[in-house]
Amino acid sequence: MDFDESLPRRQFVKAAVAAGGASALSACLGRAPRAGEPVPTGVSDISNLPQRQHAWNDRVRVDADGNVHLPRHQTFLYLTVDADGPPEDDARGTVEAALRTLDRAYERSNEGLVYSLAYAPSYFDRFEATLPDSVDLPEPRRLSGFENPTFDTQDALLHLASDRGDVVLEAEEAMFGDRSEANGVAVEAKLGDALTVDDRRTGFIGAGMPAERQAQAGEPISGIPDSLPVPEQSPLFMGFEAGFAGNQATEDYVTIPEGPFAGGTTKHVANLRQRLGDWYDEQSFAERVMEMFSPSHAEQGLVEGVGDNLGADSGIDAVLDPETIQQSISDHGRVGHAQKAARANRDADGNVRILRRHVESTDDDVASLHFPSLQRRLSTFEEVRAAMNGDDLTDNPAIRQRVNNGILEYIFVQNRGNFLVPPRRHRALPTPRPA
Amino acid sequence: MNRRAVLRAGAGLAGAGIVGGCLQTESRSVRSPPLVENRPDAVYYPTHSEGMEMVGSTTAGEYKVAAMYSYPHRFWEVTGADTNKKELDGSHAMHFMAVVWDPETKTVLPNASLTAELTKDGSLADQTNLYAMLSQPMGLHYGNNLEGDGDGTYTASIDIGSVPDDRVRRSGDFRGRFTDPATAEIQFEYSERARDDLPYQEYDDAGNRAALEPMDMMAPSATVPPEGELPGAVRGTATSGDAVFVVTVQDTVPAGIEGDGQYLAVFAHTPYNRMVLPSMTLSGSLADDSFALESTLDPDLGYHYGAAVPEVTDGDTLAITVDTPPQLARHEGYEMAFLTMPDAEVQL
Repeated sequence: MDFDESLPRRQFVKAAVAAGGASALSACLGRAPRAGEPVPTGVSDISNLPQRQHAWNDRVRVDADGNVHLPRHQTFLYLTVDADGPPEDDARGTVEAALRTLDRAYERSNEGLVYSLAYAPSYFDRFEATLPDSVDLPEPRRLSGFENPTFDTQDALLHLASDRGDVVLEAEEAMFGDRSEANGVAVEAKLGDALTVDDRRTGFIGAGMPAERQAQAGEPISGIPDSLPVPEQSPLFMGFEAGFAGNQATEDYVTIPEGPFAGGTTKHVANLRQRLGDWYDEQSFAERVMEMFSPSHAEQGLVEGVGDNLGADSGIDAVLDPETIQQSISDHGRVGHAQKAARANRDADGNVRILRRHVESTDDDVASLHFPSLQRRLSTFEEVRAAMNGDDLTDNPAIRQRVNNGILEYIFVQNRGNFLVPPRRHRALPTPRPA
Repeated sequence: MNRRAVLRAGAGLAGAGIVGGCLQTESRSVRSPPLVENRPDAVYYPTHSEGMEMVGSTTAGEYKVAAMYSYPHRFWEVTGADTNKKELDGSHAMHFMAVVWDPETKTVLPNASLTAELTKDGSLADQTNLYAMLSQPMGLHYGNNLEGDGDGTYTASIDIGSVPDDRVRRSGDFRGRFTDPATAEIQFEYSERARDDLPYQEYDDAGNRAALEPMDMMAPSATVPPEGELPGAVRGTATSGDAVFVVTVQDTVPAGIEGDGQYLAVFAHTPYNRMVLPSMTLSGSLADDSFALESTLDPDLGYHYGAAVPEVTDGDTLAITVDTPPQLARHEGYEMAFLTMPDAEVQL
C-alpha cells in the first residue's frame, strides 16, 4: 500500500484508516495530527468499565448544547467464527483475553478507544438453544419495497471508534495483525485466533471531514458532483448536522431491561451509498431543508447553514401530525425525511425510541454512510424505517417512492445487518442462554 | 448480447408528415439545441430526436424489463404543477432507460420505483433513481442521465420496486401483484463512439402543436387503445391541459373494488399518440355525488382512473377535477402540457 505523502495530514490519516494494515499503521504513526502525544491507557480491573458495551455517550465529546459527538475515526470489522457449530470454551477464553487487552491498553473514551463486539442472529443459530424472548433480534430483511440489500450474516461485528486514527488502526492490528503491543501493553491474546475478518469498512464523522474527503486527487468521489458542494462545516455529506440530543433515544432507553442479556442492546447497521448531484446542484437550500427536515422548517426559516442554530433539538416533534404533513404535501409536493421517520420514533409518552450513531464513509471511493442504530428491540428500527419509507403518503402522486419523499432519492441501501450487543459480562462468544 | 439500434425516426417523421431536418452523425459534445421560443402550453414538436440502443431485456421476479440508452439529454422533473429542468452535466455518459411490464398482459407499470446501478470491471460507475417519464418517441419509461467510466462492458443492475397500494389500486387478477421487488441484471457494451453513431435529428418545425410518432421500443408501450377497442361503453371525451379523458362505463365493477353498481373507468392519454397519463389525482362528480377517481391497474382495463357508481343515467354530466396533474418527468415537447388542467365536463 502506497500512501500519498503529499496529502494534507488529516486526509492522510483518513486514507490510512480506510486502507488499514501494518503499513498503514506505521505510516500513520508518523503523520497523524497527534502522533507522538500519549494515548490515555485503560484499566486493569474491568469492573471499572460499564456493563453496557454501548455506554459511549459520557465517554466521548459533548458540545455546549448537549449533543454527543461521535469519535472521528471508526472501523467496522465483520467477523466469522473459525469453526462450525457452537464455539469452544477455549475460543471464548481467547476472545475475552483479547478484549481485556484492549481494555487495559486504551482509556474507554474518544481519546482512547470506544468499541463494542456484537453478534448476529446467524451466530446464535450455531446453538440448539434459541435466544430468550427478552431479546428481539430477527434476521436482517429488506425494509422497503424498493431496496435489495446484501444481508450481513457474518457471526459478529467489532465496532472500533476513536478520535485518533492511529488508535483504531493499532487496535485492529493488535487484534488481527502482527502487532504485539497496543499502546505499550503486551497483546496477550488476539481476536484473530478465534475470529476471521470477513469484511472491513471504515467511517468518519466531524465538521469539515466530509468536505475534505469529497474529492480525492482532485476528482470528486463517486456520488459527489463536480461542483464539490459539501459545506465546509458539515459533519455529513448531505450538508446538515444530525443526531441532535433531543431527537435521540437515551442509552437507558435502548437498553434491554431483563433476561440474561439485560444491559445489552440491539444494533442494526445499514450501509448506504449516496448520490448527491441532484441534491446539491438542482435543489435550493430551502428545498434541501424541506426534504431533510420538513417543509415547515423551510417555511419558517428554522435551519441556518448546517443547522448549528437548532441547538439540541431539530424541532421535528412540532410537525409530525398528519394534518401538518398533508398540508405540506399540498403546498410543496414534498415531505421531510426527519418528519416521516420521527412519526414512528416516539413512544406513547413522547420518548425517542432509537439511538442513531451513523458515520460517513469513502470506502471504495464512494460517498456512503454506515448507519448503526441502537434500540431495545430490533423491530423498533424496522418500524421507524417503514415510517421513513412513507408508502402511506404516496397516495398523493407528487410523493413517489423515492422522489419528493424525504431523502430517498439520494440514498441507496447496500447492506443490512442485525446484531445483539451483549452486556460486557457476555461479550465473549455468548451462548443464547448464558447463566 | 442482444444489441440493436432501434431508431425509427425516419418512419416517425413520415408518419407525422414532417419534412426537413438532417441526419447528423458527427460527434457532438452538447447535443441539445436551444429550446424553441414561445413554447405552447401544450404538446409540441421537440427541437430534435435521438436514437437509442437496446441493451437487452430479461425477466426478474414477476416483471419483465427492457433497458436501452441514448445520448444524455435534458428532461423536466415535475412536482405538483412545477417543472424542474434537469440540466446536462459534462460527466453524464448516457441517458439510461428501462421499461417494466407484466409479461402476461403486457401491461406497462408506471409506478414501480426503479434504480439502476452501473458497474464496469466490478467498480461502481453510477447508481441512481430512474424517474418515471414520458417521451414522444419512447413513451412511458424510467430514465435518468448516468455517468459512465469509459468504453467497455457494463453491468446494469436494475432494482424494480414494489408498487404501494396507496399509490395505485389493483383489481381483478392484479390484486396482490407487484408487491415484491426484484433485481434484473443486464450486461452491455458501451462506447462513446457507438453512442455518437446513434441517429440524431433536428426539426425545422419544432414548436408546432403536434407530436413525433413513437418508435419501436422492443417493449410494450403504455397506450390507451383506440375508442373502438376500449372495453365497456365509451360515453364521451373531454380535454384538459391538452390531455384527453375518455370516459367509459363498465357494467360490472372489477373484482376487488367495493360497489355493486356500474363502474366509471376514465382513460387519460396524450393527444396524437394516446400514451397513458398516469399518476394524477382525479375526482369526479355525477348527479350531486362526488367521488375519487382512483388510479387503478386492472388486467383487462389497463391503467385507468375508476370509481364504482350506483347507476349512470343517459344525459348525466360527469365533472372531472384534476387535483394533481401527471406526476412524471417529461422529455422535451411534453414539459409544457398536462400541468395546468382545468375542470372538464362530459355529458354521458
